[in-house]
Amino acid sequence: MSDAAKKPAAAPGLGATLASIVNGCFGDYLSQRDNGLAIDMAFYQHNRPLALTPEALRDAFPAPTGKLCVLLHGLCCHEGSWDYPDSPVRSYGSALQADLGFTPLFLRYNTGLPIPYNGKALDTLLEQLLTAYPLPVEELVLLGHSMGGLVLRGACHFGAERGAAWVGKVSRIFYIGTPHEGAALEQVGHLVNSILHAVPNPITHLLGDVANQRSQGIKDLRHGTVLEGAAGIAAGPWLASAQHYMIAGTVTDDPEHLAAKLFGDGLVQPPQAGENVRLFPGIDHMQLAHDDTVYAQIKTWCAST
Amino acid sequence: MNPETLRQIRGAKDLLEDAIEALAVSVGEAQRKMTRQPYALLARIEPISKPVRAIEEAHLRIADGVYFSIRLGNRLVGIAANFALDRFERQE
Repeated sequence: MSDAAKKPAAAPGLGATLASIVNGCFGDYLSQRDNGLAIDMAFYQHNRPLALTPEALRDAFPAPTGKLCVLLHGLCCHEGSWDYPDSPVRSYGSALQADLGFTPLFLRYNTGLPIPYNGKALDTLLEQLLTAYPLPVEELVLLGHSMGGLVLRGACHFGAERGAAWVGKVSRIFYIGTPHEGAALEQVGHLVNSILHAVPNPITHLLGDVANQRSQGIKDLRHGTVLEGAAGIAAGPWLASAQHYMIAGTVTDDPEHLAAKLFGDGLVQPPQAGENVRLFPGIDHMQLAHDDTVYAQIKTWCAST
Repeated sequence: MNPETLRQIRGAKDLLEDAIEALAVSVGEAQRKMTRQPYALLARIEPISKPVRAIEEAHLRIADGVYFSIRLGNRLVGIAANFALDRFERQE
């Protein structure tokens, strides 16, 4: 990746990280209570929300291109999760900008809200983006890490349903460590919660009640809910006009190892092998969002016709 | 301090206040249920059932008082914090 690939230097700090974690855990509650910690969905640059006006976008992107890539983080994260730990100015977005001329936009959103709700909000936001963008958009590439991939599927469904213009621009969608078939951790969490409530003891009931306060966003990960009543690879909507690519990792270098079979990338099980599916052994869930070998594959797919 | 940071501090204060309130209510209810269990057993013994009920009532009142104090203190600290944040915001 070229050093010229630059992302705004002001990375999200500890406050933004803590706020994102709290949003992931209790984001629906924060939103209902109009709490000051609740994150409003927006594209972020320099750790600040980007106003979707032609002037603001021209200021933010002095040399805009007609090719955009939109990056969505996962549960309890913010756009900083795309940054390489050893070089915070590097990310898949900045690399795609340097190598293939894409203008990167990083979304930050309240990951505790229901996934279908975030999908709908993203549909609206992408519509506003394309209206305000200073150039006609020729191509839109979407990258979603973990929960972000489910939000992307929801947004594409809502956009396609109402014939939104942005949907026709989407050429490729990358699902990076996305739990299309549900996340094992939340499935275990739900089981433990049910057991705590089933035991006739006030203390276990209390613990169950506390655990049940987790956000709807987390609960939606149990089955990989994309829309109300639609979850899983087979059931959920897939935008027909775009290419879909799945990237997964495993906790061990050997994908046949028992630990890799049981824990996948640590949080998500890999999807079944297929044409547009690529497994990266030894790369865990969080590392999938900032790894050179993963980026090389994304770049290859993006450059292919 | 920028308004966004102040908004987040206010949000964190509200969340902490809500969490303490909810925990005090839930733990209080759980303790009530647990407290009643041994008294219910003892109250079955006819000769001591009246004093057992009286002691249980006193016990529950004291426990309720403790949780009420926690909730009241939490509320008062919340009001004081709001007052301090309002003053700070006006000075900025």
